[in-house]
Amino acid sequence: MPRTLQVREALNEALAEEMERDERVFVMGEEVGHYQGAYKVTRGLLERFGPRRVWDTPINEGGFAGIGIGAAMVGLRPVIEFMTFNFSLVAFDQIVNNAAKIRQMSAGRLSVPIVFRGGGGAARMLAAQHSQATEPYYAHVPGLKVVVPSTPAEYKGLLKASIRDDNPVVFIESELMYGAKGEVPDGEYVIPLGVADVKRPGTDCTVVSWGRILHTALEAAEVLAKEHGIECEVVDPRTLRPLDEQAIFASVRKTNRCVVVHEGWRYGGVGAEVVDRVQSSCFDWLDAPVERVCNVDVPQPYARELEELVLPSVERVVDAVRRASYR
Amino acid sequence: MSVMNIIQAVHSALDSELARDPDVVVFGEDVGRFGGVFRATDGLQAKYGEDRVFDTPLSEAGIVGTAIGMAAYGMRPVPEIQFADFIYPAFDQIVNEMAKMRYRSGGRIGQPVTIRTPVGGGIRGGHYHSQSPEAYFAHTPGLKVVCPSNPYDAKGLLISAIRDDDPVLFLEPKRVYRAARGEVPDEPYTLPLGKAARVAEGEHVTVLTYGATVHEALKAAEIARGEGLALDVLDLRSLVPLDEEAILESVARTGRVVIVHEAPRNCGFGAELAARIAEKALLHLECPIERVAGFDTPFPYTLEMDYLPDAKRIVAAARRAFSY
Repeated sequence: MPRTLQVREALNEALAEEMERDERVFVMGEEVGHYQGAYKVTRGLLERFGPRRVWDTPINEGGFAGIGIGAAMVGLRPVIEFMTFNFSLVAFDQIVNNAAKIRQMSAGRLSVPIVFRGGGGAARMLAAQHSQATEPYYAHVPGLKVVVPSTPAEYKGLLKASIRDDNPVVFIESELMYGAKGEVPDGEYVIPLGVADVKRPGTDCTVVSWGRILHTALEAAEVLAKEHGIECEVVDPRTLRPLDEQAIFASVRKTNRCVVVHEGWRYGGVGAEVVDRVQSSCFDWLDAPVERVCNVDVPQPYARELEELVLPSVERVVDAVRRASYR
Repeated sequence: MSVMNIIQAVHSALDSELARDPDVVVFGEDVGRFGGVFRATDGLQAKYGEDRVFDTPLSEAGIVGTAIGMAAYGMRPVPEIQFADFIYPAFDQIVNEMAKMRYRSGGRIGQPVTIRTPVGGGIRGGHYHSQSPEAYFAHTPGLKVVCPSNPYDAKGLLISAIRDDDPVLFLEPKRVYRAARGEVPDEPYTLPLGKAARVAEGEHVTVLTYGATVHEALKAAEIARGEGLALDVLDLRSLVPLDEEAILESVARTGRVVIVHEAPRNCGFGAELAARIAEKALLHLECPIERVAGFDTPFPYTLEMDYLPDAKRIVAAARRAFSY
């Protein structure tokens, strides 16, 4: 029987199950122990697994990311929580120059099985320094995997897969979704990295979207079906690196149109990579330019009204799909 | 006019701006007494004194943080990050503080900072002395990103960058620091940020590139010309702001595009170029846009010349585009 769980509960189950299954797995970050996580994702873990497996760290992202990388190099499997992914930028050198490169630099002798997880993206009036979608920075880095889930069941299954992966994984959650509910299967399951999921089948226009904003895209797809007779096929790559491009191509070759919808800046965002791959591999199938619906290219505003204007909205997705469909 | 290489042109630009504006200061690791690991600041400390040109500890976050504070108080710092590979410890300072300060202060506090840093491979520097980090900065609103390919552009663009009231990442292609030589005026001059230069004219295939790979594209244009294939090579010179007009004008004539850069392909800056062209000029395109880029691996030490895009790969991509 599937149960209805919040995202934070699904993540908590994933952590607890993997810690139970493999004693090398441990959790580290700011306030993850006694306080049980800024968003309560690590609730109960300190009590259950003890202070050797659940560590509160000082406020030093470069420090605990570095400790985690070292621990992973000697055989442990750390799960590092960034209170928000915005703070990972302080640890950027550790992630880009160390975690991502060690396997290649050691000719495969050392691996870094580490997960960096935490919330990213807009979080309602948290302004320029606490609202960024950092996934494009990490998706550009060879040696990393980048996961951006969108439903509670996927949060759980993809986190379990990330913990078992022998490579460094950047696992970006949504701060606005920790309380979001959805069905989560009973029992053991993992969702493989690098496999897309069609969230809504359709015939007229492919919409590629991921993370929290996928739900905006799905809402737009409903509006488009009801009010404009356009049936969108919504494809969720779930993993941005590696990217399941074949799933995207298969859909575009059917619909001949594509709109990419994501949170984060448009200029040089992951959407650009998706557009390029589609134009490159589906050139003769495309009946219209590939559209991108993204954040406006400005630092995230604090004011609620402005924040909403900056983020992709149902209206902007509807407009883009209609342009791509010439309807 | 003097014949200069890129290092000498950068030196000349710094010299002229230090002389012109007492608010300009130059600092970084080994830039003072030693004159810079590539000699770009040679003799400047002796000429302008230790208050204007000074050495810092090995702390990139500290260097950039100091520059941000100075700029907030109205100075025009020109910090050097010794290799772009070392810029990541300062990533939070650049992305979260420098890029956002004007916006967060309602326009009251500007950030007239120019961060100079050598980028790219080809000097047998291995993982930590070869990276091309432009995509991270081009993606971040609030930053300008400039990458010259020759001495004349290097001087004119660096002076513009220093005089600009917003933060500029000035990426210097170290592979051609000394190899690229040309005539440079001795007096100060500026080149506008955001204007591409057509460095080879042709009607068959547009080639878009910047920095060291401009020279590979020029070699490719020579080879292709021998086969009757005329490449229109644009040296973008600045990635933010981007000369979209020049790009679209060329694409409208050729209908075929090859994008070249050293950085890894996935989510590299070339993706943005391709996506823009596919959005705005799809109906002009005769074939898919080609990208020739670094491979999606960490920068390899032994295989670097296979990793870096060269004339051969550019010609092959142009042929594929032309024969589609």
